[in-house]
Amino acid sequence: MKTKQQVTGAQALVDSLAKAGTEVLFGYPGGAVLDIFNCLPDAPFQFVLGRHEQGSVHMADGYARATGKVGVCLVTSGPGATNTVTGLATANMDGVPLVCITGQVTMSQIGTDAFQEADTTGITRAVSKHNFLVHSADELPEIVAEAFYIATHGKPGPVVIDIPKNVQQALTVATYPERVSLRAYHPESFATSAQMARLAKLINEAERPVIYAGGGVIASGAAKDVAALAHRAQIPVATTLMGLGAFDERDPLALRLAGMHGNAAANYAINHTDLLIALGVRFSDRVTGKLAAYAKKAKIVHVDCDPASIGKNVRVSLGIVADVKDVLTTVSSRVKAADHSNWLAQIEEWRRKRPMAYKPMHKNVIMPQQVIEAIDKATKGEAVLVTDVGQHQMWAAQYFRHNRPRRFLTSGGMGTMGFGIPAAIGAALGRPDRKIVAICGDGGAQMTFEELVVAVEHKLPITFVVINNACLGMVRQWQELFYGKRYAGSILSVRGRPANERLEQDLKYDYLPDFVKLAQAHGADAVRVIDPVKLDGVIRKAVNSGRTTLVEVIVEPRANVYPMQPGGQPVEGMIFE
Amino acid sequence: MKEELHRLNCFVENKPGVLARIVGLFSGRGYNIQSLSVGPTEDGSVSRMKIDVLGDDRVIRQIILQLRNQVNVIEVTSRRKNS
Repeated sequence: MKTKQQVTGAQALVDSLAKAGTEVLFGYPGGAVLDIFNCLPDAPFQFVLGRHEQGSVHMADGYARATGKVGVCLVTSGPGATNTVTGLATANMDGVPLVCITGQVTMSQIGTDAFQEADTTGITRAVSKHNFLVHSADELPEIVAEAFYIATHGKPGPVVIDIPKNVQQALTVATYPERVSLRAYHPESFATSAQMARLAKLINEAERPVIYAGGGVIASGAAKDVAALAHRAQIPVATTLMGLGAFDERDPLALRLAGMHGNAAANYAINHTDLLIALGVRFSDRVTGKLAAYAKKAKIVHVDCDPASIGKNVRVSLGIVADVKDVLTTVSSRVKAADHSNWLAQIEEWRRKRPMAYKPMHKNVIMPQQVIEAIDKATKGEAVLVTDVGQHQMWAAQYFRHNRPRRFLTSGGMGTMGFGIPAAIGAALGRPDRKIVAICGDGGAQMTFEELVVAVEHKLPITFVVINNACLGMVRQWQELFYGKRYAGSILSVRGRPANERLEQDLKYDYLPDFVKLAQAHGADAVRVIDPVKLDGVIRKAVNSGRTTLVEVIVEPRANVYPMQPGGQPVEGMIFE
Repeated sequence: MKEELHRLNCFVENKPGVLARIVGLFSGRGYNIQSLSVGPTEDGSVSRMKIDVLGDDRVIRQIILQLRNQVNVIEVTSRRKNS
């Protein structure tokens, strides 16, 4: 009989990651993971060194969102692990499958306040879907398999595996299991045929139906099925921020973005619909506004794989816990063709009355919305657009014509500033066949700018567009509209600050940092645009250069995101300028 | 809706960290546990948690669904506790 070969826990981990299908590992080394790093030069996958653990998690996240595969990252104990918290929370809110491996001090040191010790499972419990503390090298391969299973089944999410150093060093013969069987976790589709019949009947009887599609449609690969249903029964489709790309916005049935900064027509349609078909959404407060007034004339059908999301925020007439694709495949044959022409005409009128539009505020000053349109034009609807968080994110949601799933990557639920640059790098590594454009504000860009070198090192042809208004625009907008124009802490330029934040007026620069010099210092090509006439040309050149390029666009600093349905307000409270 | 005392019976895998995970679901959402006891079942790999919590039906339903979403939770049942 052949004896099984003993390997270290560290080697068993690397072998297991390879077996689980890892192609790129993102991360950052440190004392408690040196044994694992020692195995990496021989690993069959690529290792990508970030410059901060938060950046590494966002890279893994961007990779996962762009490809639909699991993003994998590896960091050390203590500060390495605590630096992942924001990244994990970001992925957790948006249902992104990640496996994050953290080093831990040796078992005998746990609880002794050892150097770089942190209670990683305790800290990450609330920001991950699940986590493991590995007690023995023998259980390591199985835990890796379980982690990948949990990350991808049910509502996807991040899973943390915390591995003490002595477990990495111990010897084991354990190998990666053929299949995973978890005793207590069986996320299943519970859709019954009675529910399917009821859903078909509701759709066939509806006079003013609206499909409202979210990130769950993209996660379940159901975009084509949504389009088929919409076309068959002539149902207009609104999307959430996470659902952008789930329905082609060039389609006449597209209502585009709904919610706080959504299209008026989308919000009006939801307000007047008699049947809201909610697919893979969770009725976030950023979408519903005032709950009591939300879709008040409608029966609501809610299909989602997460049982806890159904009935959480809105009361539904029919809740179906199931994969969106499974439901649509079954129900579509029972849905009758319809035309709903009166309803669609009404929607067209709303569109005409309240189009998504902006006006230049000053001559020769670029409007930020123009930048989004320039990127859309230059990439001809073929780019993966990655955003940071804030005003530019909303303009990107509003003014880009989203047409396919996994082409708009954004931190929706968590709203994590600093997401854009590293997530774009992860996306570029996962989809080398695509043009990647990252849009950031000047605030968020400064939070993770250090990751730019990773794009340069790997020669990633990403265009980073920094929309620079010299302020934290969304904060400034809320202060202007709701806080008496007291701009505390939101103005980054010299002028316009409150007295106790005032800088010397003769400071050499009005804008800091100089993003062009900063990008060049990181090894990237960089250019600044101020003149509106030159914008299109510069963007076109950058996205076609095939090189890591940063374009800093100086834009109108006082532009606001409209329309806006202020938080907790009904749709009648929408403001347009 | 009226707040009432509910008894949740939660069968979980007997593993380290599971109690903290369950309790965290309550504390993280601001729900106050009135009473909690954990003990073994005949199957040594399964523990039973008895959790008394105050809430209206909607809140309790949400808690149960969140508990069932947990990887280590096998089953949750609930009943109103008559005072």
